[in-house]
Amino acid sequence: MQAPQTPPISAAIRAEAHRREVAARRRSGRVALVFIAPALALVALFLLLPVLFNLGLSFTRWQRFSGLDEFGGLMNYQRLFMVPYLSEVVINTAMWVIGAITLPLAFGLGLALLLRGVPGEGLFKALFFLPRVLAPAAVGTIWFYVYAPDGVINTLAGAAVGQEIDYGWLFESHTITPAIIMTFVWQTLGINMVLLLLGMAAIPRDPIEAAHVDGASSWQIFRHIIWPLLLPTVFVVTILNVIAGFTAFDLIWVMGNGYPAQRSLSLAVFMYYETFSNSRWAFGAAIAVMLSALVILVSWALTVMQSRVEARIR
Amino acid sequence: MAVDISDPAFLEGLKRKERARQRPSWLRLAIASLLLVAYLVPFYYLFVTIFKTTDEYLRSSVLDLPNSLAPFWDNVVQAWTLGGMGRASINSMSYAVLGAGLATALAAAAAYGLTRLKLRSANAWFMLIFAGTLFPFQMFLVPLFFGFQRTGLINSWGGMVLVYTAICIPFPLLVLRGSFGAIAREIDEAARIEGASEWRVFASMIVPNAKGALIALFLIQFTFIWNDLLFSSILAGSPEVRSIMVALQALQGTYSSTGPNVVVTASLLSSVPTVLLFIFLRRYFMSGLQLGT
Repeated sequence: MQAPQTPPISAAIRAEAHRREVAARRRSGRVALVFIAPALALVALFLLLPVLFNLGLSFTRWQRFSGLDEFGGLMNYQRLFMVPYLSEVVINTAMWVIGAITLPLAFGLGLALLLRGVPGEGLFKALFFLPRVLAPAAVGTIWFYVYAPDGVINTLAGAAVGQEIDYGWLFESHTITPAIIMTFVWQTLGINMVLLLLGMAAIPRDPIEAAHVDGASSWQIFRHIIWPLLLPTVFVVTILNVIAGFTAFDLIWVMGNGYPAQRSLSLAVFMYYETFSNSRWAFGAAIAVMLSALVILVSWALTVMQSRVEARIR
Repeated sequence: MAVDISDPAFLEGLKRKERARQRPSWLRLAIASLLLVAYLVPFYYLFVTIFKTTDEYLRSSVLDLPNSLAPFWDNVVQAWTLGGMGRASINSMSYAVLGAGLATALAAAAAYGLTRLKLRSANAWFMLIFAGTLFPFQMFLVPLFFGFQRTGLINSWGGMVLVYTAICIPFPLLVLRGSFGAIAREIDEAARIEGASEWRVFASMIVPNAKGALIALFLIQFTFIWNDLLFSSILAGSPEVRSIMVALQALQGTYSSTGPNVVVTASLLSSVPTVLLFIFLRRYFMSGLQLGT
């Protein structure tokens, strides 16, 4: 290729061109700000300022009818440890987090492997996905009656053992959280499965075919080919699930309607109760800060693990 | 290992393996069908219950088939009037259409400013807007409640539209920044040389190029707003502005006076718009999932 021959340009023309380009870039930047401004203004006003305000609030003594002015230091954070039912909140939240990390993923993965290549795969996928489009409040309402003493679960179980069962799944401290988690799994199974199937579709078929020809078992193929290549998707799905588990509210709010200690069923419900039923606004703000810190910490850790795994695959 | 591919024994082995791989698909179909039946039991319960009267519900087993289909309309009318669901569904529809529409449009404009124009430190501006989604919703509740009370936005229709729009901006911005960035530069350069305004370039060059993503994002945000219980229960509790999910929850909360048949019918009614959207626009929902990951 020939070297480009630039015609001689006088310094004045070059300076003029440069000046124009700078002016054009500046104009372009100003126009860009006009395009961004509405979105930025709304987000700043309704999301960013509230976050700062909430953080500041968590260090005050503010209750509903007292002033904002009194600084309370770490009082609200210390008060957290004096809540008599704190251990129940922690245990229930831990059950939610562990359940949300393991169950939808395990069931979703099993289902994805089962459905791959089955006749009518598309219909199966759509039907398993369907609960996901229902509102959590609607799902909770239906399952509230499914778990009722005269509900579907007891009727089916009673028919299986041949005697009448009228257990109150949502009224006993031992079963309420596992029962609501199972409803959560019922609702989120579909999206886990679909995301994992999308991840599997991206795995090249050649190594799998080759392993088949070489006589590898299905388990070996899954363990050594599919699972490592699927790990990035697994992490994305897990991050979504763990955030949903930490912040679970709607289902618990609706299904725990008749349970006396509803406030202890998750951090999110605990925060809602202390803030809006007990009118301890500053305390509620502190719980929200703790919840945010936990969510950000866990999703950050998972993101770091994910990037390590991706680096190893490449 | 050297393999003689014309060796009949080897070929026979290959064929056997291939057949073995085809066969389990029927076994898997049977297992999948059984699981699906178990999975759909709550839907079966839903569909028998909406056709029962309260009396019939309480006297028969929950899994029994209804005596007739007639009580359905009565259940609908009861849910509609007792729970104030008529008003609530109009409210929620307007929140969801306006909130999702405005959020997607404003996010598109912002994404245009970030990707197609020469903005210094575009990345920092993006991070600033996107920072809004790092926190769980609980972080916004107390400040929004307090701010809404102070400014009179509490229990107002406009306040709900504004808050939903703001919450729904960051995620579409993340996605659209990617899809706008992938559109060829030549398209807008050429239009600008021809003298098109930036608005023209945005509205008639860039937006049509990302139609699929825009529809998917609108659907995702619409569903989120329609399904929301948390924000609407705190910021809009009064009957004139309450959302469909708050109305449903209020109905369920008084289940002692309202029969389960009516409450379950109400929960079905509250899901009709999102289920219909899903059935008719499944393609966009599924592509929306790919956007999210």
